[in-house]
Amino acid sequence: MKNIKRVFIYVFLSLAAIVSIFPFLWMLVSITNKSSDVTKGRLLPGTHLIENMTTLFESVDIVPALVNSTIIAVITTVVTLLLASLAGYGFEIHRSRGKDIVFNILLLSMMIPFAAIMVPLYRMFGSISDTAPLFGIDSLGAVILPTATTAFFIFFFRQNTKMFPKDLVEAGRIDGLSEIGVFFRIYMPTMKTTYAAAAIITFMNSWNNYLWPLVILQSPEKRTIPLLISNLGSSYSPDYGVIMSAIVIATLPTALVFFLMQKHFVAGMMGSVKG
Amino acid sequence: MNQQATKKDELDLPLRYKETRREKTGVFFKKKVGWLFVIVSVIAITIFNFYPMVQAFLLSFQSGMGSNLEYVGLANWQRLFGDPTFIAALTNTSIYLLIQVPLMIVLALFFSVLLNDPNLKFKGFFRIAIFLPCVTSLVAYSVIFKYLFGVDGIINVFLLKFGFISETINFLADPFWAKVVIILAITWRWTGYNMIFYLAALQNVDKSIYEAAKIDGANSIQQFFQITVPMLKPIILFTSITSTIGTLQIFDEIVNITNGGPGNATISISQYIYNLSFEYTPDFGYASTVSYVIVILVVILSIIQFRVAGEKK
Amino acid sequence: MKKFYLMLVLLVGLAVLAACSSGDEEASGGSSAEGAGSADTITAWAWDPAFNIAALEKAKEAYNGDGDFEVKIIENAQDDIIQKLNTGLSSGTTKGMPNIVLIEDYRAQSFLQAYPDAFHPLTDVINPEDFADYKIATTSHNGEQYGLPFDSGVAGLYVRTDYLEQAGYTAEDLTNITWDEYIEIGKKVKEATGKNMLTLDPNDLGQIRMMIQTNGSWYVKEDGSTPNLAGNETLAKAFETYKKMMDADIGKIVSDWSQFVGAFNSGDVASVPTGNWITPSIKQEAEQSGKWAVVPMPRLDMEGAVNASNLGGSSWYILNVDGKEEAADFMLNTFGSNADLYQTLVKDIGALGTYSAAAEGDAYAVEDEFFGGQQIITDFSKWTDEIPGVNYGLHTYAIEDILVTGMQDYLKGTELTKVLENVQGQAEAQLK
Repeated sequence: MKNIKRVFIYVFLSLAAIVSIFPFLWMLVSITNKSSDVTKGRLLPGTHLIENMTTLFESVDIVPALVNSTIIAVITTVVTLLLASLAGYGFEIHRSRGKDIVFNILLLSMMIPFAAIMVPLYRMFGSISDTAPLFGIDSLGAVILPTATTAFFIFFFRQNTKMFPKDLVEAGRIDGLSEIGVFFRIYMPTMKTTYAAAAIITFMNSWNNYLWPLVILQSPEKRTIPLLISNLGSSYSPDYGVIMSAIVIATLPTALVFFLMQKHFVAGMMGSVKG
Repeated sequence: MNQQATKKDELDLPLRYKETRREKTGVFFKKKVGWLFVIVSVIAITIFNFYPMVQAFLLSFQSGMGSNLEYVGLANWQRLFGDPTFIAALTNTSIYLLIQVPLMIVLALFFSVLLNDPNLKFKGFFRIAIFLPCVTSLVAYSVIFKYLFGVDGIINVFLLKFGFISETINFLADPFWAKVVIILAITWRWTGYNMIFYLAALQNVDKSIYEAAKIDGANSIQQFFQITVPMLKPIILFTSITSTIGTLQIFDEIVNITNGGPGNATISISQYIYNLSFEYTPDFGYASTVSYVIVILVVILSIIQFRVAGEKK
Repeated sequence: MKKFYLMLVLLVGLAVLAACSSGDEEASGGSSAEGAGSADTITAWAWDPAFNIAALEKAKEAYNGDGDFEVKIIENAQDDIIQKLNTGLSSGTTKGMPNIVLIEDYRAQSFLQAYPDAFHPLTDVINPEDFADYKIATTSHNGEQYGLPFDSGVAGLYVRTDYLEQAGYTAEDLTNITWDEYIEIGKKVKEATGKNMLTLDPNDLGQIRMMIQTNGSWYVKEDGSTPNLAGNETLAKAFETYKKMMDADIGKIVSDWSQFVGAFNSGDVASVPTGNWITPSIKQEAEQSGKWAVVPMPRLDMEGAVNASNLGGSSWYILNVDGKEEAADFMLNTFGSNADLYQTLVKDIGALGTYSAAAEGDAYAVEDEFFGGQQIITDFSKWTDEIPGVNYGLHTYAIEDILVTGMQDYLKGTELTKVLENVQGQAEAQLK
């Protein structure tokens, strides 16, 4: 009985994995094919890998875009994790009616489609362009600022903090830790998996962010990966082999971040801390 | 900040006053220290979200081409009800929401429980496989979906071969099937994303509770409903609210797979906002009005979800 | 608690600093941030590296005016340019806007009317009569010429001569025919070869657009904004023809660009009716060399319809920001008057302009082996002059989205007059 269940689980997961991975595998195959084979939906590997890569690294010059995207994604992730976890912790551990109201208002900010606030936001960054060029139009600062502060992750950290054993906070205080000390010395290490999950998602969101970087960045040398890929598809005769190669390279960093972070998802870790 | 709030804090944290070191600084400090944790975020979100949101709200009472905007009062709101494209978009988006969000949440929860089993082999592989769709580029997967569901695509070939259908279905040209494809695509892409939240949260569930349940003779289905679901309630609430927001703002999948077609059979509210702002002669005023419809819908649905989860008093 | 503040300030500060310094480093490459602001650099936005961007590069080399400025060419996808321009112009911030921008003809009137003072008139700079007639209505507004007409969207019917031969036809038999005749030939070709005659994308009515322009008609009346759908005989005829194609089962249904390209690359269709800019994609499949020819676009079977039409095409615009005089000078001395430049464009990148004087040159007469030695550029440029001019107006894409729904109803059996009245009503309701 137990074995049948096991077999069923493996079969089910394998099916799900195949369905999930199939488009990715097709992408991998496509980077070895020439454009017209990609548009025909060819499923077999071809011989154009080197041509595609050469185009991508020489004429398209993907490296600066990779560097820009990495800088933006890393800074955004660090800032988001820090600010959102501080706030999520504050809202839950130091709960008060006033803070609950503020929290609910903050949630409102997730609800509007970004396209609706883009024009006022652009005007705002336009108006500071002269006084603070590092945060003005065409700066990486302007890409990061509005994306690094989101109610989404405050909400996420707060919900996870609800599962955080509050007596640990007291224990810390009794040990003479300051409020901030409790946060850094006790909360952060205990909530490692929550941070790992948040890191995966922020990194991915930032890495794939399209609309805002598109409107705020102007110089080609500041372009991020999604903007570069969008350009590749803009031609009347797009080279789908090169586009697929760019997409595969663009996918790897997020997949890598996920792979490194998911190792922290080990069952029952919290229980052992509490021991 | 009133008396009641202070009282609540005291009840929540009864041990607080055992502390001696802090007493010097007084109650005032204790009440305020919590604000220090949240203040940076509050200020930043006010500047980068609320200020533009207020501007967008003012815009929703204006109309005109591009920069020739003028105040039209509630005319935009009236226009909504006579606008067949808006009504189509609202209907489609509601259908996506009602079917897709519950389906995805249940699937994600199910996967995360399976993939959290410490005895499972190839855990890392399965996890990354199910997560991959949300990093797979839209360009790639829309091409794939279009091929799979094409007239001579694999799905049709399969269905024909096994006699489920007698003639091919043109999935993307049929208003009903096109919606089904969109729902499958959204679910396919975002299940792994939601799974991460559950996987992370599952680590925060005390293992000993399961041990105790096992001794009491609870089988795994009972454990799932009696321990896992209640324990994960805050995260289930989080994912259902964020998925609701995500689905109400759904844009990429639709633009890339069906581009709203056939006709307006799959157009979403967000795609309509985009069209009003960029694809057609821009009317940012009316586009703002449509955006606020999303805000209103999300607010209502979130309040309901908070209530159902019993988090609000 | 001081420690808390300090930590916070430090961390945020650090992150911010990191962001700035990296931004700084990147920015040192060019003065692009002020792009439009300084007159010693002018920026130009366009899409397609193989075509428009390459054309700009050639223009930069060919510039022989007196101006002393650097031209910075920036490549953006067309949709991206539309979003960036709309966001920038409607925010009222000229920062970050380019001096020169390429805009598709179907969208030109939207931009000119939505942002009245944003564009710099070229009335005194270029002579509109130097360019193909059909381009002028769409690039001017209120009696001022704003656009410098650039590439021709002149359409042709690309045919597979080998497939036609199997069905007993030659390219000659498809020259100057009506769409009805085309459908009859299509049926025979399908019988003989099993191949479809063309691809049809139910969500993209480019086919309809090309058909109605052969008779000088459009989705809107001449004012550019009143929907012209109900009672538009040309449009009705085009709808009927489209349905005939579907009924004759000679169309392969595709759902996006890559499938469209894939269909003719893999030899699934016997003809491709579209704009001349598709030539490089057709030639992409080298094995098909010698098997293609281009003939004039079929016309609608109506009095007054001609065998010439257009699909797409775009023109240059100058923004009303600092550097506009320099930008105008650059444009005048390149695309505005340099016939040799157009020779280079044809020869080196296959881009066909609409500057009439250029058609005399040798580059236009070159014989293309891929098309069996046909002088395709000469042919295209001859057809360019015959395209009926129409004012595309403001709502091409908005109306087309409504028409797509109407077409579905019509194909499912709703009566045509009723369909067109329906879409007319919807368009009037939506385009207030």
